[in-house]
Amino acid sequence: MFRKTKKWSGAILSIALVGSILAACSSKNNDSGASSSAPAASPTSSSSESANASPSGSSGLDMSKHVNLQFYMLGDAPKDLSKIEAAINKMAQEDLNATVTFNYTTWTDWDQKYKLLLSTGQAIDLIFTADWTQYQSYAKKGAFLPIEDILPAAAPTLQKFVPQDMWDAVKVDGHIYTVPATFKEYVTNGFVWREDLRLKYNLPKPVDIPTFEAYLDGIKKNEPGIQPLAIGSDVRGALSDTFREISHNPVGAPLPYGIGIKYDKPGDVYSYWGSDEQLQDLLTYKRWADNGYISKNELNEKTTNQEKLTTGKAAAMLGDNPNRFNATLNQMQSTHPDWNLAYYPFPLARGFATPVHPIHNGFAVPKSSKNPERALAFYEKMVTDKRYNQLTQYGVEGTNYTVDNGYYKMVGDANTNGFPREAMNGWAWRNPEYMLFDQSFDGVKAIFDQLDQIAKPDIFTGFAEDYTSYQAERAALEQVEKQYLYPLIAGQVKDVEGGLKTFMEKAKQAGLEKAQAEYTKQWQQYLTESGIK
Amino acid sequence: MAVTTNTAIKTNSAINANKKRGLLHELVTNRILFLMLFPTIAFFLINSYTPMVGIYYAFVQFDFNSSLFNSPFVGLQNFEFLWKSGKLVQLTLNTLGYNAAFILLGNVLAIFLAILVSELQGKWFKKITQSVLFLPYFISFVILSVIVYNMFNYERGFLNTVLKGLGAQPVDIYSKPGAWIFLIIIFYLWKHLGYSMVIYLAAITGISDEYYEAAKIDGANIFQRIWNITIPMLKTTFVVLLLFALGSIMKGQFELFYQMIGNNGLLYDTTDILDTYVFRSLKVTFDVGLATAAGVYQSIFGFVLIMTVNWIIRKINSEYALF
Repeated sequence: MFRKTKKWSGAILSIALVGSILAACSSKNNDSGASSSAPAASPTSSSSESANASPSGSSGLDMSKHVNLQFYMLGDAPKDLSKIEAAINKMAQEDLNATVTFNYTTWTDWDQKYKLLLSTGQAIDLIFTADWTQYQSYAKKGAFLPIEDILPAAAPTLQKFVPQDMWDAVKVDGHIYTVPATFKEYVTNGFVWREDLRLKYNLPKPVDIPTFEAYLDGIKKNEPGIQPLAIGSDVRGALSDTFREISHNPVGAPLPYGIGIKYDKPGDVYSYWGSDEQLQDLLTYKRWADNGYISKNELNEKTTNQEKLTTGKAAAMLGDNPNRFNATLNQMQSTHPDWNLAYYPFPLARGFATPVHPIHNGFAVPKSSKNPERALAFYEKMVTDKRYNQLTQYGVEGTNYTVDNGYYKMVGDANTNGFPREAMNGWAWRNPEYMLFDQSFDGVKAIFDQLDQIAKPDIFTGFAEDYTSYQAERAALEQVEKQYLYPLIAGQVKDVEGGLKTFMEKAKQAGLEKAQAEYTKQWQQYLTESGIK
Repeated sequence: MAVTTNTAIKTNSAINANKKRGLLHELVTNRILFLMLFPTIAFFLINSYTPMVGIYYAFVQFDFNSSLFNSPFVGLQNFEFLWKSGKLVQLTLNTLGYNAAFILLGNVLAIFLAILVSELQGKWFKKITQSVLFLPYFISFVILSVIVYNMFNYERGFLNTVLKGLGAQPVDIYSKPGAWIFLIIIFYLWKHLGYSMVIYLAAITGISDEYYEAAKIDGANIFQRIWNITIPMLKTTFVVLLLFALGSIMKGQFELFYQMIGNNGLLYDTTDILDTYVFRSLKVTFDVGLATAAGVYQSIFGFVLIMTVNWIIRKINSEYALF
């Protein structure tokens, strides 16, 4: 008898052990859900009466049941996020009988994580969208919920707040899939260079490629310890795409599969890859590399271009947007007050500027959302309610920032402050009426004012490519481009013409013509549908 | 003791009776044993076998709006991108080649070092050697890649600064595909040697001293003792580790290659493996179907390989085979 119990207890013990392993796994998975709903549990009981009374706030929205919303944003979470989250949840509990968990992907492999978040069916209620996260393609493939029918009931204020032309601009196949940001800005590129060095050696001011090259040459001759131009390992984005933007008047960037389209003649699609235009560009890059303007090992570079500028390792960047230029300048002057950066916007050289497209910043409700109405009602609060908005953009007034003469002023510095300006990466829920700017932003505003004078509409970003039918070619081309084109752009292939020929051969083998033809077809269809000539 | 013999007899009789009375009887007779086995079976079912359903993703067009089995079936279309760029053979060979080098060199050197360390007399010296060899295991490849970049950078790297100081011509390591074959293998060994050495060291400690004493009395010197006792005794450990390593021969060491080579297309001919190729291709075009297809290709290749090697080993000496 004793033996038998011993046997049984052994079996039960082993089950319990393995069971606890399994339980540990599952509790790990539920961890985020459990911990976030725990603080919510106590307010539910205390405010259940108020919640029952409040549904009149938004017309026709059922708020009798408490929900916890999953909010996903790209990038790194600020240190004080939990404090902000608690404060927001207190308000949201009262207003909407809802709580929210703010989740961040970190910048490491954000693109992989973003894709996984959308394709694994994990329940998410709000997620960031942008042209650079391929909003158009995802919307077309059905990753997001169409929200035009939910908006009137769930977020009427928000619906009125965003102008109708912006709602129209983000439409994909006739449906609205994202709530666009209304803050008007420019993310066009411009030359960035060390103004103090330019003055010191009396070099020309970069306003186009020849003057820029002359500046680089002057730096090379006078400052042998500094690399004239920072490019980094993304040679396509930082060199080729930007170079094309200033030299060839493209309709937008990045254009995939070596497609070339000029802004003035959107109907004419040509192949930039293999063209004489590309050959000349590649020869220029080669010259820059040979002259030592960029490193021979640019493809393996690990530090960011901005960091190289602020630490004095490099003396120029080919292109950056006004906002980021300003951030780099501030960062640099905080450690080297005697250094200076200057900026010349490409649009001034090109003769026109395209303001940021509404698709550039937005928030969508993924297909997997269990509470789309409440999610939009909450997002309405984030945008249109000053308390929610300023709390999530600037932190707690007094603790994280102060308002001085109408300007935003950070408490402490970026290292000591747990919530610097826009630390939640809240580009999408910026509300121009509530926005606070640092004094240094006046410089950016001056650039924006300049660009406002020559503004022309962005006709490229509204195009939604559907690559389902040629995704094998797309994936293979990506490969060929990295292996054969990147070294050419980095100027590391001795025989440029021969290298280009090899690249074109391999690209054709990978299905370049099919991808280009399909893209052209879709593009032209888009042009006719939207009446652009 | 009585319990075990009892069960052993029961099991034997159950096997004899099994042919007549079937599985149900077997389950009833040995219910305790099956109950004890159950958690392990459940564990593998849940974590290893159920997810295999996902293999089907490799054959359908991924769609946000329909479930796995409602998605349109596309056959082998998802596998196309693997051979579209005409690199599949080269990638497979690279992957196999590097892994073969890692496994063979790694094990041989680890055995060599383990024997050396085990023969060391000074206790302190032994411990320190062991720790020094083990430490690189904790350094991530991300950090290693920064160190390597600062060593080999053409303009301001350590190597070229020294070369220039000596009046020699600087070399551009990052444009020499051939050099990276050796560099990558060296970095791998540097990082992993200490770890596998510890496994062999443990196996050596397990060898009974009696063998060595008997050999000593018979007049065997230290090399004879190592050659005739230690190495034969390590054979089982070696074969088991080899088979485990072979199972993942098509995967593995993604970080090493990805961090060291990154975007540098100049080096891809000799340094691109399946994992990095798939990662790069799908970084832009992410599709669950394509990613699964690549995974399936790797798994099938690994499966065939391990079955073949296991079969060969069983032919030679069935005691060493895994199954």
